[in-house]
Formats: sequence, C-alpha cells, structure tokens
Amino acid sequence: MTLLKREEWQHLVRDVDWTYSYVDDEAVYPEWLSGTGKVPRAAWRTWEEDYKVSYPEYVSTQREKETAAYAVKAALQRSNAFDELSEGWKSSTKMHYGGVALVEFEAVLGELKMARFGLNPAWRNMAAFGALDEIRHAQITMFFGHEFVGRDPQYDWTQKMFHTNDWVAISLRSLFDSMMVTNNVVDLAIQLPLTFETGFTNLQFVALSADALESGDVNFANMISSIQTDEARHAQQGGPTLEILVEHDPVRAQWVIDKAFWGSARAFAALTGPAMDYYTPVEHRKQSYREFMEEWIIDQFIRTIEDYGLRRPWFWDEFMKGLDTWHHALHMGLWFWRPTIWWRPTAAVTKADREWLQEKYPNWEAVYGDKWDVIIDAVNAGNVEATLPETLPWLCSLCHLPCCNATLGRDGRWRVRDHSLTHNGVTYHFCTNGCRQIWWKDKDTLNSPTVIDRFLAGEIQPMDVGGILNYMGLTPDVMGDDPDYAWAAEYRDRVTTTPLQVAGGAQA
Amino acid sequence: MSGGPRRRRTWSAFGDVRRMPSDYEVMTHDANWTLRPNRKAAFEQNPSSPANLWFHTYRDASPLRVAEWNKYRDPDQLVYRTYVTMQSDAETRLAGVLEEYAAAGATEALSPAWVRTLATVFTPTRFPLHALQQIEAYVGHLAPTSYITTAAAFSTADLLRRVTAVAYRTRELELTRPGSGAGQQERQIWETEPGWQGVRRLVETALVAYDWGEAHTALNLVILPTLDAVLLDGFRELARDNGDELTWLLLGNLAEDARRRDRWAGEVAAFAVRERPENADVLRRWIDRWSPRADDAVAELATLLETLPDRPCPGGELLGAARAARQQLLDGAGL
Repeated sequence: MTLLKREEWQHLVRDVDWTYSYVDDEAVYPEWLSGTGKVPRAAWRTWEEDYKVSYPEYVSTQREKETAAYAVKAALQRSNAFDELSEGWKSSTKMHYGGVALVEFEAVLGELKMARFGLNPAWRNMAAFGALDEIRHAQITMFFGHEFVGRDPQYDWTQKMFHTNDWVAISLRSLFDSMMVTNNVVDLAIQLPLTFETGFTNLQFVALSADALESGDVNFANMISSIQTDEARHAQQGGPTLEILVEHDPVRAQWVIDKAFWGSARAFAALTGPAMDYYTPVEHRKQSYREFMEEWIIDQFIRTIEDYGLRRPWFWDEFMKGLDTWHHALHMGLWFWRPTIWWRPTAAVTKADREWLQEKYPNWEAVYGDKWDVIIDAVNAGNVEATLPETLPWLCSLCHLPCCNATLGRDGRWRVRDHSLTHNGVTYHFCTNGCRQIWWKDKDTLNSPTVIDRFLAGEIQPMDVGGILNYMGLTPDVMGDDPDYAWAAEYRDRVTTTPLQVAGGAQA
Repeated sequence: MSGGPRRRRTWSAFGDVRRMPSDYEVMTHDANWTLRPNRKAAFEQNPSSPANLWFHTYRDASPLRVAEWNKYRDPDQLVYRTYVTMQSDAETRLAGVLEEYAAAGATEALSPAWVRTLATVFTPTRFPLHALQQIEAYVGHLAPTSYITTAAAFSTADLLRRVTAVAYRTRELELTRPGSGAGQQERQIWETEPGWQGVRRLVETALVAYDWGEAHTALNLVILPTLDAVLLDGFRELARDNGDELTWLLLGNLAEDARRRDRWAGEVAAFAVRERPENADVLRRWIDRWSPRADDAVAELATLLETLPDRPCPGGELLGAARAARQQLLDGAGL
C-alpha cells in the first residue's frame, strides 16, 4: 500500500471557498486590496497554476536546499577566500546585501497580502508558500551578510540600509512599496512575481552568480543560486492572474506590466548595471549588462507578453536606447557621490576597461570619455577634492534616481534633457519621459518628495554636504570611497586638456 | 578609507549588546522597513494613499501599542531552516502513519456512525481552517515587527498543512467509503448544517476584524484555542473512543503546530502587557468581544458530537474543555 498521489486529493485543498452569509464579499475582499476591477468576481474561479506543489513536497524539497546551502557556507567559512576577493567584487556584494536583504522581507508582506486577499484559494495557498520562500531569502541574505560585519562595517548596511534616508533607500522603497505591498493583489501578482521575478531577478541572480564564480566568490554564488531556485515556484502566481485580467481588461493588464517593467529597469540600471560593467573586474566579465539584458530579459519579456496578447510597452524605444546610457551615467553618479553609498565603487576606467566598454557600447567614449578624463586629470594632479561632491544631483520625482541620462539630439550632440511637468502650480522634473508618464498617471498615490525636495524645504539641516550625509544615515566608517584610485595611474602621461566648465552638470 | 573606530560584532541595530545575538535574531531583527523610526508614513508615497491610511489606522494606531515591538521574541526562535526541517520530519511521521493504517485497512473497519461523524465534523473543517489561514496571513502582513510577521507566516503555513492533511483523509474516506458523503458534501454541510453555523458566523466575522491587534487576539487568543480544544484535542479523544486510532494519531501530529502557535501568540500578549500594562485592558476588551461568540460556536458544534458517534461526548464537557484551554493560554499571558 502506498500513499495517494497528490493529483488524487489536491483539488480538495483548494476547494475551500463558500458563499458568505454573515458578511459581504466586498468587506472580505475590499476593492483596493483585492482589485477585481472590471473582472467579474466569478472569473477568478478558473485561476490555476501550472506546476502544483503540496505542503509535504514543499518542506521536503526546501529542507534539502537549506541543508546544502548552509553546508557550503560552513565549509567555506574556514577558508580565507573572502580576503582574496577584489574590492570591486566585494562592493558588488555589499550593494547586493544592502539593496536586497530587506526587499526580500518586504516581499514576505506582499505574499502574505495575496495569501489573505487573493481571489482564488489556489492562489492564496501558493502565496502562503511564497511567504515562506521570501522569509528564506530575507533570512539567508541577512545571515550571509552578517558574517562580514566584523571585517568591514559596510556590511552592516545589509540590515540598516532600508531604515535610512539614503537616496538609494528612498528610491528603492518608492519602487518596491508600490510594486509589492501598496497595490491591489491582482496588480501585485502581475508586477512582483511575473514582471519582476520572472523577468528581472534573473538578471541579478543568474548574471551575478556567474560573475561571482568568475571572481572566486563561491559563497555568494551558492547563496544567490540557491535563492533563485525558489523563484519559479511562487512566480507562477503571475501567469494565471494575468491570463484572467487580459481577458477582461487588457488595457489595465498592459499598464500594470509596463509600469513594473519600467521601474525595475531603472532600479537595475542603477544597481546591476554598475556591478556587471564596472565592479566585476574586466577579465571576469562574462557578458555586458546590455548583452545580458537582451538575452535574458528582453527576449523573454517580449515573448511572455506577446503570448498573453499584449504589446510592447509604449516606452520601448526610450528603454532600448537607455541600455547604452542609463547605467553608465548612474555608475558615474554613484562614483561621484560616493560618500552617499555604503560600498567602495571603483571607477574601473583603466585603458583595458575603456577598450572593453567602447567595444560593447560604441558611443561610450563619445558620451562619457571626456567626463572621466576630467576626473582622471584631477586625480593625477593630486586634486581628489575636485572629484568630490559639493552639491546634490537633481533627482527624478518618480524613480528618485539622478536625472543624468544623455540622449542624442538632432544636432548630433549628447545632452541631458529635462523632462518636466507642472501640476497644481508645482513643476516636477523627471529623468525620462517614461518616469514622467507614470508619475502623471499615479500622481495621487506616488507623489513623494525626493531628497532634493526635502533639502529645499529645509528638512535637512545643516544645509550642507555634512548635513545631507547625516540625514542619509551615513557614518564615516561606512561612507564609500574609491578603493585606491590606482586605475588613474596609467594615464599619468596623458596630455591634459583644460577642463571646460562643468558647473551645474551642463554639457562640457 | 579608514577602517572605522571599533570592530563591529553584529548589526548596529542591536545597539551596544553584551551578548552576541542568536542566529534567529540576526536573521529576523527589524527587517520591516515600513516600521522604521521617524517615518512620515509606512510607505514611500503620498501619506494619504490608501495603503498608508490602512497601515496607519489598523497597525500604527492600533490600541495595542508598545514602545519597541522589536524586543519581542518567539519563544521557539524559529527560523526558516529549523521550520522546514521540523515540518519535514513531522510530515514523514504523518506519511508513515497514513501508509501503515491504509495497509491495515483501518478506514474500512470504521463503524458507519463514526464515518458519518468524520464526514460531518472532520472533513468539512477545511473550510474554516482555510479562512483562519487567511486571517493568520493578515496578522503577519500587518504585524508591528518582523519577529511577529515571521511567526505568523509559519503558522499560516501550518494551517495550510492542516487543510492538506484533512484533504488527504477526506479523499481516502471518499475512495474507501463511497456514499459517506466525504469529498462530496462538505461545502453543503458547512453552509447549512445547523451545528456548523456558529463557527461559520465566527470565522466570517473574524475575516473583517482589520485592526491587527484585534485580528491577532480574535484568531490566536480566542478562536483557534477554543476551536482546537474541540476539533483537535476533543475530537482526537473521541476518535480513539470510537476505534479510530488513525485520526487520533493524525490530530496528535497536527496539535504540535497548535501548541507552538499558542506559545508565540501567547507571548505576544504577555510581552504587550509587560511592556505596557494598559494593554491588558485593550486585550481584555477584544477577548470579551470574541469569547462569547466562540463559546456559542463551540456549543452548537458540540451538539454534533453529542449525537452522531456510537460513543458520543457530552456537549457540556467539550464546551468546558474549550473554555479551560483558552483560559489557560490567557493565564499564561497574565490575562
């Protein structure tokens, strides 16, 4: 005698809805939380995921994964592998720990929301597993990051980063709050598991795992590849939800995907882009950020949405062009405003780096080369002061990242353009048309002051760099700096050009 | 770059600790950024957005308040790794029991009256249990510290585990004892059988208790302890009296989850009262609101156990046991 197979009984685990007699359905599933919208309530009865999992299967599989992941960690703990890693790579991991650990925890809140307000029991059950998965990811990331706190205080920001008012924290909170928790569960299931997890986390987890191995960081690769194996399961909540939404309200379906894709693309350009194209030593880079995006994200994303009968997002051209610029500009911004970040960003513009960058991005020298040359000359002249910030960059009112994207004008010149709009007498500035458009549509909900707005409103005192750093929670032991400026040395013989005026961020 | 003033041993969020925090604390501490100090609102968006208003009203302005929720600890100090290890062992034991009793033909041997009892009182429980699973998820979603969210998420999964075990047994009864109604009539019984209507009213109304403190109190301090005294502990003994050892073992296995939930949930109350004695009145008000409803529900449910089995259980006894179990939990919390 053996046990009954899952297929024999699982339908009963999900046949648990009934008609309420003592409360209204609308009270149990309020519209702003459950978000059925134009979809008839009964349509959710057909919700079904592709790959089913039962509780006993779940705990058995996950136990094995946990045992394996922690065994690798324990084995490596006694080695001195950490000390041999380059600072560039370590900084990629610091950025990852600080930028990701608590996002995983916020995803727990999102999964629990779907476990409560999801419109089909099978979906709610899948979300209960999703909540467990995200607890796993938050805990393993905090645990692995914690190991290094004693060696380098920047790892303390694994736990601390999102509790601060650092501009990165504000930017990412703004994105993830609206994508993971404050939206209704229909939008949530499409934005978090489908757009973000099946789309973008591949980028961070698959690409970074490959770079980790190349850089000799087996421990980190072990952690993130183990995390990635969970995504496929709970990411399934997106597909069936999208299928039903597309059938009844394709316009809304298109919008929620477009918005989440755009927000994710901006965030990944800031975090993953610099990690892949700069912090990972050039000899260890597997693919450029652009190549990886094209192969892993774009093709798959387009295929997915076309399968559901949706179109390319309205911003597609702007996004594709941005693959050549966004992350390069953000890298330069992160480097320049390095006291505001919790890792040590290497500039990574040696001749070999630049050759690689120019090959991967044919406009790189034209757009960024001269700016880096100014920095290089300052460093070689012993004037590092000149490469440090005295003011703040203008931040985008939607993504809260610096407005620094150069675009090619009809006159053949690259310029950073202002995208603005005026609403109720206030002029808001955006880094891109995409951000402006999303803000306009969601302005009642998303409207939240940037660090610059807070500064100008007098919320940050004293009104100088010291006051700003203090407001952002940076302490001297954590503030970022270039690891050694050694990359500038090989340019010592360069004939320096007189720097044209660069004040105000205008084109030199 | 300087090396910093002094070597850290752990998260700065712990302050100046003398004792090295446990792995549980390192992995769980203050992980919910929507609770960060000096925030204008929970979420980085318009303070009057629907989500910000909801979290303000039902979490931050809940009458159940303490100065520093991050000082709360789950007495079991569960982390993900220990949770899946423990539950995977429990599932292995349960599978062994199910397999062994199936091989022995245990279900075929049950009396018709007992099979009718199972199909009326046991198999329909997947409906209320699922709703309680939803409420537990809500408690975790809105909890004021990551320590409680984590414990509530594990208990959410435990309730899914329980629904899963009930579903398995339901199907087994359906296959082995066709005509018993098992696997076919649960929804109808749940919606119309008079003995269940008190429980149904109870869980439906608890679904819309949105203040997080009230949701936690109603669910974990009143409804579940009261119902479990009947549906887990009482029914378990009744099963053995009626020759159903399998159900006795099954429910004994599941009761471990309930005991663990009692520990962390009771500690939430005890902690809240220790930190701010006025919380005793807050909790007491909610307990007084939900306890009579739970007692009424159990009294109605008990009529089924008084009449259906060959060897029934007096209803008054069940109700008394349910009240006593609940009070024991509340006593532990100083309530």
